[in-house]
Amino acid sequence: MKLAAFSLVALAALQAALPAQTVFKGAKVYPVASNPIENGIVIVQGGKIIAVGDAKTSIPEGAKIIDCTGKIITPGLIDAGTQLSVNRKHANEQFEEVTPHMRVLDAVEAGHKAFDRVRHAGVTTVQINPGNRNVIGGLGAVLKTASETAADMLVKDNSALRVTLGREPGSGNMAIRGGTPSSIYYRRPTTRMGTVWTVRKAFYDAMSYRDQKTLPDPKDRPPVSPGMEVLVKVLEGNLMVHTTARAEQDIRTALRIAKEFGYKTVIQGGVETWRVIDEVAEAQAKVIFSPPSLNGAGNMDGAEGRYHTLNMMAERGIPFAIQTESSLGERSLAHEGMVAMRNGLSFDKTLAAVTLVPAQVLGVSDRLGTLEKGKDADLVVWSDLPFDAAARAEMVFINGKDVTK
Amino acid sequence: MKLQETQNSLPRAKKMRNLSTATTVLTATVLAALAIPMSAQDKLTVKCGRLIIAPGKELKDAIILIENGKIKSVGTKIDVPWEAKVIDASKKVVMATYVIAHTSSGMSQGNERMANVPYITVQDGVDPAHNYFEEALRNGIGTIHVIPGNNTLLGGTGMVVKPYGKTVEEMAVRAHTGLKMSLLSSGSRMAQIHKMRRALEDIKDYIADYERRKKEFDDEKAAGATKKKEFEEKIDEKKKPVVDLLKGEARAYFYVPTTAEMHEAMQLIAKYKLDVVLVLGPRCHKSAESLARTKIPIILDATMEYEELDRDTDENVKYCPAALLDKAGKAFTLSIGSSGMTRYPWWQMATAIRNGVSRDKALAALTTEPAKLLGFDKEIGTIETGKVANLQILTGDPLKATTWVETVVLDGEIVYERSKDQRLQHLFGKTDSDTDKKASNR
Repeated sequence: MKLAAFSLVALAALQAALPAQTVFKGAKVYPVASNPIENGIVIVQGGKIIAVGDAKTSIPEGAKIIDCTGKIITPGLIDAGTQLSVNRKHANEQFEEVTPHMRVLDAVEAGHKAFDRVRHAGVTTVQINPGNRNVIGGLGAVLKTASETAADMLVKDNSALRVTLGREPGSGNMAIRGGTPSSIYYRRPTTRMGTVWTVRKAFYDAMSYRDQKTLPDPKDRPPVSPGMEVLVKVLEGNLMVHTTARAEQDIRTALRIAKEFGYKTVIQGGVETWRVIDEVAEAQAKVIFSPPSLNGAGNMDGAEGRYHTLNMMAERGIPFAIQTESSLGERSLAHEGMVAMRNGLSFDKTLAAVTLVPAQVLGVSDRLGTLEKGKDADLVVWSDLPFDAAARAEMVFINGKDVTK
Repeated sequence: MKLQETQNSLPRAKKMRNLSTATTVLTATVLAALAIPMSAQDKLTVKCGRLIIAPGKELKDAIILIENGKIKSVGTKIDVPWEAKVIDASKKVVMATYVIAHTSSGMSQGNERMANVPYITVQDGVDPAHNYFEEALRNGIGTIHVIPGNNTLLGGTGMVVKPYGKTVEEMAVRAHTGLKMSLLSSGSRMAQIHKMRRALEDIKDYIADYERRKKEFDDEKAAGATKKKEFEEKIDEKKKPVVDLLKGEARAYFYVPTTAEMHEAMQLIAKYKLDVVLVLGPRCHKSAESLARTKIPIILDATMEYEELDRDTDENVKYCPAALLDKAGKAFTLSIGSSGMTRYPWWQMATAIRNGVSRDKALAALTTEPAKLLGFDKEIGTIETGKVANLQILTGDPLKATTWVETVVLDGEIVYERSKDQRLQHLFGKTDSDTDKKASNR
């Protein structure tokens, strides 16, 4: 008797210790990993998804139920290319044009309004990149869009190394012509050629650094260089490169250099992918596509956009994510998807391009990008299909927590 | 849209002079659009899958019969004349073209650098080859009120055009629609308001002086002291638009940039009994409730939603003036931007809906409301018998992002077809020379 009473108490204590379960009921659920479910059920516990299913899914007793009848549920959106909360001044360390060891995470401002802004628009995870003013700008980080500190928000540190080709790193640079040669603007490179030379030199230096590190006599070994260590990681296939390349020749160059040094690169931007679709497909490169709403009108780096670029990539089986490249959350990822759909991309491809594909590209698909058992409970309840111009993200959850406000 | 045919035979020079010396606004000088060649083809029939007659009023499988540029009849049981050209839109959506009540686009320079220039007019600035008009047609816009920009004090008069035609005369629908007034200051707000008061007061004095001289003449004449039959002094052309405004014979499009200037704007309107349309800047949300108590027509800024930091709570608060006005029961007209997403009518309307405005009110804000505001509600804004045949054929619902404008008909004439839109074809990679062309400015 005593024992039974004790076990009852223990059971109650155990139940209290278990985190509460939340059930999202009645919405049309888009798990992305599988077909959409009408009148679906998503159950969340302890920040993770514990079940996704149709109306027959059994609802645990005592669970908190959120009625989502008539609504749409998708995974939280993932923006693979932003400079969120990090303004231009802080994103570009200008003492050198090759700064592979600069970590953008050290510049992220966790309480910045930009995080609220993108979260209110249904984005729950972002990759933040260093700026585009350096040829090799540094290391990006993947963060969730709600918490008190950057460390709490962090999903993946050192997610990718940002390399920028084209005019951007050279813009504003000047050759030394008298004056004060110590000026920060007297930098190399000043041309596309110079930019590519800078990338190539950096990787050659890294190769010889790697070779010298293994010399038998410690006296012959070079002093430890944090920048070189990062580049060696790339050469050894342990770190992904995201090369910003918008115009045709820059996309070709990005693929060529990657091949030359034997590393993998994602094309970031890729405005003129339509011109080099064969090369991109052959290289099996993934693309983080420059915001569709700027495509054509933005004319970034002299690159000419075409409305059908994403449709071409979809046809050729090139994996692509859609990015906003915004630093203040000024562009909404869902609205970028809307523009892609306006230009003919299917709903499924568009949804994948802002959920599953960016999760894969960023190497976080074990936790994010779909609604599946065991994944992080990051989800959005929409008033309508997310790429509808009038749709609103009515509720946003990160790690099972309501972060709508 | 040919509202009234006048002066067709006048040579261009004289016609243009007539324009600049036109006396009354809104009612008098109507530009003659060059006659479209009329033939048997003037009978046009549109078979509509879904017809939006007016916001909230729809018909399925309807037929529109157009004759001589006007809508002759609309309905489901209409006999199609054998000689009529037929547009089959039985799988499409048909509605009136959009009406833009206020823009300074379509000119390469929308603002005169001098601030007090009521005598200039956009008739001399509208560029028929401007990309804005091409883009307007592509987006289903059929009527545009072009008026000098907001960086001004008394900026000149506007005109209504259609975005189709090789010359300003061909495009013209109505000249001298109203005078641009603006409280947007280049320096201090106080100075701008002072300048505005001063400018209006100067003209008020001028009118009083003029009336006095006229009375003196009348007295002299009555006393037999002059042989002249009539008072010969004409109103100064450079002052005329403001004189008309102060006499209540013309209308002003009054730009108020923020709530901070609203009180002064209302004082000026009351003091001088001005007939105005208020053109709101992007940060006027605090005026929504007080504006709802007036009968003044309102045109909203192209930036329809924005955030402002609440300094007490340190929270960003989002505002949408369209939704606030709607909540307060006030009708409004939307405008569109010249670049970015705001250049799409569907985006502007969807933004209003996203913020809580009803679908019908959003549609009205770019069709019936601007038509009424411009005084054209008998001619345009809906698909009804007797109205000008301005319509657009859409691939789907007008508020969906995936919908494209397929065909635009203005004055009963097909003026846009997506299949023949070369720029769009080019952007979708459907032109032959596509791979060869490259930007030279990389």
